[in-house]
Amino acid sequence: MANPAVHAPPVAASAERKLPSWLTLGIIFGVVSAASILLWGPIGVSGTYPRFIAAISRYVVPDYATSNPYLAKMPKFFTTETMLVVGLLIGGFVASRLGKDAKPAMQMVHASEKTPTSRYRDAFIGGFLIILGARIAGGCTSGHIISGITQLSVSGMIFAAGVFAAGIVTAKSLARGGR
Amino acid sequence: MDLLYALLSGVAMGVLIQRVRASDPGMIGRNLRLENLSIIKFMALTIAVGMILVYLLSLVTPMHFDIKPTYVVGVLVGGLIFGAGFGIGGYCPGTCVVGFGEGRKDAIWAIIGGIVGALVFTLVYTTLVQPMNKLMDLGKITLADVFHAPAVAVAIVVAVIFFIVIRLLPTETGSARG
Repeated sequence: MANPAVHAPPVAASAERKLPSWLTLGIIFGVVSAASILLWGPIGVSGTYPRFIAAISRYVVPDYATSNPYLAKMPKFFTTETMLVVGLLIGGFVASRLGKDAKPAMQMVHASEKTPTSRYRDAFIGGFLIILGARIAGGCTSGHIISGITQLSVSGMIFAAGVFAAGIVTAKSLARGGR
Repeated sequence: MDLLYALLSGVAMGVLIQRVRASDPGMIGRNLRLENLSIIKFMALTIAVGMILVYLLSLVTPMHFDIKPTYVVGVLVGGLIFGAGFGIGGYCPGTCVVGFGEGRKDAIWAIIGGIVGALVFTLVYTTLVQPMNKLMDLGKITLADVFHAPAVAVAIVVAVIFFIVIRLLPTETGSARG
């Protein structure tokens, strides 16, 4: 915290005295997630993407919006989950401006990402697959894993097993040198 | 009022996701390569704290529970596709929105990819998804239903197991070196 430029993990000796940030932030996130279920409902993000498609297609291709049985179930755009996503956008903006790491440098994820273009390509492919997969499964990290398992839902546990199995295999196989 | 609560939950979660660096796809890559487990431990802790709180609260006040159906094949296939995308892009549907708010230039490409993914999903919904999701549909079940036990007791047992695993797992695994 003292030196924002250094993101290196703290040395073992000093980690004893100060709580690691994932611990404090995880407890707070758990309280916020529980408060959501108390006040309005379990959190969920991925449904907002097809809701966006439904809202656009009602103007551009109204026939498709009404004939597609999935889109027909989404007559309203500004639902609680859409507001949650708007909040995430604001939260990310506020946190980065309050912190000292405004304008984060681009983080390459895999060794194969040598240029910004290859990072954009992987972000696009990844974004495509996460929403396709989340909609098939009926939820994503927030709806199935966080709020799903919080409610002890069996579907959330099956989804999490699939996500981490495929995620770990994919990330490791894309790692440099085939390590 | 619900809309305002949801907006405020989103703002709080956006700040927390940015602070814990879950919106940094490089950090997600390190977690999925099991070099650093901070985000995985953060998620597990969130879930464990949340499950104790919601089921204790449910004893004294009505809760807005909403259990998703367990159609085993579709949930697993969707999870595997999601996991591949998570491994390639390093973003999930919420963290790319937080990342975009932060000013990450690659995050908008994940969001655009997601919008295209949603469009393709609606195109294959009736032909592929609906038939698949009728397979092995167990309905809206929880671990409490599986074990025929009170939900609050199951929540406490599961949360304690989570706390023990979180305590035992290292945050830096050391496989990042070399």
